[in-house]
Amino acid sequence: MHTAELPMIVFTVAAQMSVGAFVVLGIVQVVAGRKFAAGTVEKMTDTALYAIGPVMVLGLIASMFHMGDPMHSLNVIRHFDSSWLSREIVFGVGFAGLGFLFALAQWFKWGSARLRQVLAGVTAVVGLCLVFVMSMIYYTLETVPAWHTWATPAQFFATTFLLGSLAVGAAFMGSIMWRRRSAGGAELDESTAALLTGSLKGVGLGAVAMLGVEFVIIPLHISNLSAAGGAAAESAAVFSGVWFVARLVLVFAGAGLLGVFLYRYASHAKDAGVRMLAIVATSAFVLVLAGELIGRSQFYEQMTRIGM
Amino acid sequence: MTAVGMTETPPTIGMPRRSFLKWSGAAGGGAALVGAGASFGIPGVGAANAAAASPITGADSVAWNSCWVNCQSRCPLRFHVKDGTIVRVETDDAGDDELGSQQIRACVRGRSMRQRIYNADRLKAPMKRVGPRGAGEFEEITWDEAFDTIAAELERIIAEHGNEAVYLNSGTGTNGGAIGSRSSVRRFLNCLGGYLLSYGTYSTGAIQIAAPYTYGTSPSTNTFDDAVNSQLVVLWGNNPLETRMGGEAFVIQKAKQMSSTKFIVVDPRYSDTASTVGDEWVALHPGTDAALVAGMAHVMITEDLVDQEFLDTYCVGYDEEHMPEGIPAGNSYKSYILGTGPDGVVKTPAWASQITGVTSAQIISVARQIAGAKPCAISQGWGAQRQMNGENSARAVFMLALLTGNVGIPGGGTGDRETTYNFKVAGFPELKNPVGTSISICMWTDAVERGPEMTKLRDGVRGKDKLDTGIKFLFNYAGNTIVNQHMDANRTSKLLQDESLLEFILVIDNQMTASAKFADILLPDVSNVEQRDLTAGGSTGDLGYVIYADKAIEPLFDSKPIYEILTELAKRLGVEEEFTEGKTQDEWIDELIEATRKDTPAIPPNEEFRAAGVYRQNNPAGHVIPLKAFRDDPVANPLKTPSGKIEIFSKQIWDIAHTWELPEGQRITALPEHIVGAEGVEEARTNEKYPLQCIGHHYKSRTHSTYGNVPWLQEAHPQMVWINPADARERGIENDDVVQVFNDRGRIELVARVTPRIMPGVLSVPQGAWYRPDKDGLDRGGSINTLTSWNTTPLAKATTAHTNLVQVEKA
Amino acid sequence: MAAELGFHFDQTLCNGCKACSVACKDKHDLPVGVTWRRVAEYSGGTWQRDGNTVVPNVFSYYTSIACNHCEDPICVRVCPTTAMSQGPDGVVTVDQDVCVGCRYCEWACPYSAPQFDAEAGHMTKCDLCADYRSEGKDPACVAACPSRALSYGPVEELRAEHGDLAGVEPLPDPAITRPRLVITPHRDAQPSGSGTGSVANPEEL
Repeated sequence: MHTAELPMIVFTVAAQMSVGAFVVLGIVQVVAGRKFAAGTVEKMTDTALYAIGPVMVLGLIASMFHMGDPMHSLNVIRHFDSSWLSREIVFGVGFAGLGFLFALAQWFKWGSARLRQVLAGVTAVVGLCLVFVMSMIYYTLETVPAWHTWATPAQFFATTFLLGSLAVGAAFMGSIMWRRRSAGGAELDESTAALLTGSLKGVGLGAVAMLGVEFVIIPLHISNLSAAGGAAAESAAVFSGVWFVARLVLVFAGAGLLGVFLYRYASHAKDAGVRMLAIVATSAFVLVLAGELIGRSQFYEQMTRIGM
Repeated sequence: MTAVGMTETPPTIGMPRRSFLKWSGAAGGGAALVGAGASFGIPGVGAANAAAASPITGADSVAWNSCWVNCQSRCPLRFHVKDGTIVRVETDDAGDDELGSQQIRACVRGRSMRQRIYNADRLKAPMKRVGPRGAGEFEEITWDEAFDTIAAELERIIAEHGNEAVYLNSGTGTNGGAIGSRSSVRRFLNCLGGYLLSYGTYSTGAIQIAAPYTYGTSPSTNTFDDAVNSQLVVLWGNNPLETRMGGEAFVIQKAKQMSSTKFIVVDPRYSDTASTVGDEWVALHPGTDAALVAGMAHVMITEDLVDQEFLDTYCVGYDEEHMPEGIPAGNSYKSYILGTGPDGVVKTPAWASQITGVTSAQIISVARQIAGAKPCAISQGWGAQRQMNGENSARAVFMLALLTGNVGIPGGGTGDRETTYNFKVAGFPELKNPVGTSISICMWTDAVERGPEMTKLRDGVRGKDKLDTGIKFLFNYAGNTIVNQHMDANRTSKLLQDESLLEFILVIDNQMTASAKFADILLPDVSNVEQRDLTAGGSTGDLGYVIYADKAIEPLFDSKPIYEILTELAKRLGVEEEFTEGKTQDEWIDELIEATRKDTPAIPPNEEFRAAGVYRQNNPAGHVIPLKAFRDDPVANPLKTPSGKIEIFSKQIWDIAHTWELPEGQRITALPEHIVGAEGVEEARTNEKYPLQCIGHHYKSRTHSTYGNVPWLQEAHPQMVWINPADARERGIENDDVVQVFNDRGRIELVARVTPRIMPGVLSVPQGAWYRPDKDGLDRGGSINTLTSWNTTPLAKATTAHTNLVQVEKA
Repeated sequence: MAAELGFHFDQTLCNGCKACSVACKDKHDLPVGVTWRRVAEYSGGTWQRDGNTVVPNVFSYYTSIACNHCEDPICVRVCPTTAMSQGPDGVVTVDQDVCVGCRYCEWACPYSAPQFDAEAGHMTKCDLCADYRSEGKDPACVAACPSRALSYGPVEELRAEHGDLAGVEPLPDPAITRPRLVITPHRDAQPSGSGTGSVANPEEL
């Protein structure tokens, strides 16, 4: 596997997963808020929300390892008017900052619920902008044909929502399992169980849908590269061999098979047992995360520039 | 493309300040050990006194010197020195971009000189061997111990075996200096009663011996400047754009630009000469030059394109009417070509095409072009003659110039290598060698192995019917010819393990070369910038020059100039007075400069010359045109051949062919015939084990093996084997794959350059990479001489380094 | 306004010796791995075999490239720190006090002009030998070329003298960055984007 860009692989995947998870949590809140009490929803979503922070921070720390001279890091925002990389840093820090503020607000119940919702909304928008800006860093390099394609933003957003939803699913199950253990293995209350079931069904459906999107992007991207010839065709050569197959298998197994299982088990949460559900949700997340990390490493490996 | 994250940690240079400080400290220590004998303290001499300082580098001084290795060019370099350390190397800054007044710019090699001077492989102190020969295990000793040991060994071996047992090995790491060169060693050994001589060179072994049979001398051919007078230029295996990239490359490129003359390049590789000045490429199988010439000669003869008047007037042996006495009928060149000679084979283009790989159509076309161009300049490089049939290849190429009557005229030539103009630069008197015996230069390992068995008629021993002793003392100065630049490194390496044969190996060098590892005693020489010298110019067409080779820095570490080393040895062997005549190196240089000025008074006196660095002088005759006097009046100016004429058929060779004893399969012919020999293309076509011919072109990053350890050059021109895409595909090899090339003599590992620039069926491993066998004998340095053999050509006993059959596979 | 400077490169003369590249390294003390001037070999072609005879149809030529100090320098555009900037004479330089070493310019430049110095952690590149020029000397590479294939000067003058060709394989379409580069093409030179050969020495670039 191509690990020369490990800091960038970790940073981009972690940041996209964070944005995705944040947005998915928002959707859960909005959708579930109509059916369930705010307390019930927040009890489940907040744990996941607090988990995003460390992931995003990990990503930002990883990105520092990409810098040849971290002492000059503050300079990277100086070219905001021209450089997508400057914009990435601004939006990355913006998303992390707003997310942190929102998490604090949730924890301490600052302001009204409405205000916090507005804050969450702004954070989500900044996060989505971050993913877009990230993709533009690569997309705008017309000297790298493998990046200078619609597939770059498409892939970045697919990663965002695929990993985001599965991360939320896994976090929900983690939070439930933890709560059950502290409660001495007591049964879930009715509304929590229903909320969980609904959310996991959504996660399963979302994962299968994003898998579909990814499995459209990948072959189209490869065939476009091959057809373009030159440096692009050289890039296409990356998408073969063990690592490429491993990536497809991992993502397919995680998002496809387990997504379907998740959807079906979630429908019968009580019968199947929460434990089984937790295993399925966590496995799906881990497999897809591994697949996406390999995929991202290949994203960097395909970098073949035109010229000399 | 630079892969992100591929940057390596910089070696030697790139951390200039810190490491240079360390170096200068070491240099200072070394300087203190320089004895009073080599007094550099005379007024006005030494880097500190140099006039020109550079405001840009912040250098204290700038000293002129040169890149003095064995590429035939010799490019001036200017060394910027700060605090006793060279901080920058620039080239000539005088002159312009016009032929005759050109700036003599150094090529990539000279420009990397700083990394050769400050190389991690620099030898730092005298050492003696403590492991097996070649293992490179040494222990530092004092200079006194070293001198005493060497003197004692020399004395003992001369007493026991005679002076014939002492041999000065080939080596061109210091080529061009008057004192800091092999001249000093020859003089020293001559003071001791002489040493076993050698004839020929590894470069020119066959042509150097063959040419005089045809021309009476090695005539060379017109300078490249003279190409402006040609209608057609044929560069036959001649590759100045890769081998003589400093002085000579500019000359031929400029002449081409000025004249827009057509150039035809004959070479198994699409060389950089072919890609720049070449207009047509003839790709032939290595070793088939004589066949290709014969096919062309057939066209010229049958189409009546030959210059009959020239052949009748100036040559013998062309047709039956002009043969030496006593030779049976049917032995003329014309009979050979037309199939009326002993072999009965008509040398048609079709016949030649089957041997050479060149199509009949191209053979006919090129023959007509050569015959039709009046005048036509044909020159040959030295690759073709480093083949089993080397003498005949060389003489065959002469035939093209002879058949077309191009010898001795402007725009024409002899078919030999191009010459250069130079004026006399005084050298260090080498004195006379009382031992008159000599062997072929590349047979020294034979002389180690079986010296007393070597005879005149079988092994080409000269000056004596047979050797009386094998070589017992090897004096190896500034050379990597013990293993690296001598053939069959593995066989040589094994031979040298037997200390009863070669009893003592002395190596004096400034780098830990592959050969230095075989030393019994290893002494650190200085580089040329650590001593003052005088050096003649190199191959630069009709521009002659001489360089004031100034001392730029003090000797590094505990190294000493060769003159001082030899003086110490001479002292111990009782010949100091004969050797030094009571003079220091500086006093000798002053004398040599004055002697040179006597011949060429326009050279400025010492200090002015020192500041100017280079004195140049154009050829007063315009272009050098060898054999012009003979062409103008062959009766008044006969050649040094027995007939006084050009001998196409050589009666001398005819006699040799009838008296010498040759190994099976070898033949000597009085005419330049194509001979099917061992490991030639004919054998390649039927040899399933080793179906590929392997040659070893000269590489841009090295002059032979010199500069082979310079990181900048290793990066710029990494060692590689050229292979045609068709041959690569059959073996699953892709560009930049690591491969192994091998035959029964050895195996090397290196990177493959899959390129259409080499003909199918032929590999080329650039010669000179440093031999680096691992514990299993796999040469990871990729030295061509791991694959070459000790086989010699029949007449000159010259190297056959380009006649090898091999196989290649992915590593 | 100062005249904008560029290079002229005569492909017909270059034998790929790399004296330019190494003279540059010596002048700027560049380690192995940091190469401000690079030389690409572009070659291709085919062989036809008929029994024992073969007919080559082969080409090869070199292109020596440092930085083209482009009119639309992509390195300056993408640099997040503003370390990469262009002077009034068009010369593009890196401010070592600002560069963060993110190597984005290295990804972007289709000529590989910005080179990463691992030891310093910064990008480095050709400054057209600013110090030499201030002394009235030619840049080291120009002064080094034994074949006189390189020259430099106000790009308008170079274009007036040698034409305005810059789109030769393996170089990219000049429309991308508008290099201040003028190429005198080799007889076998192929237009950018339509090449039939390949870079023979990718590891050396």
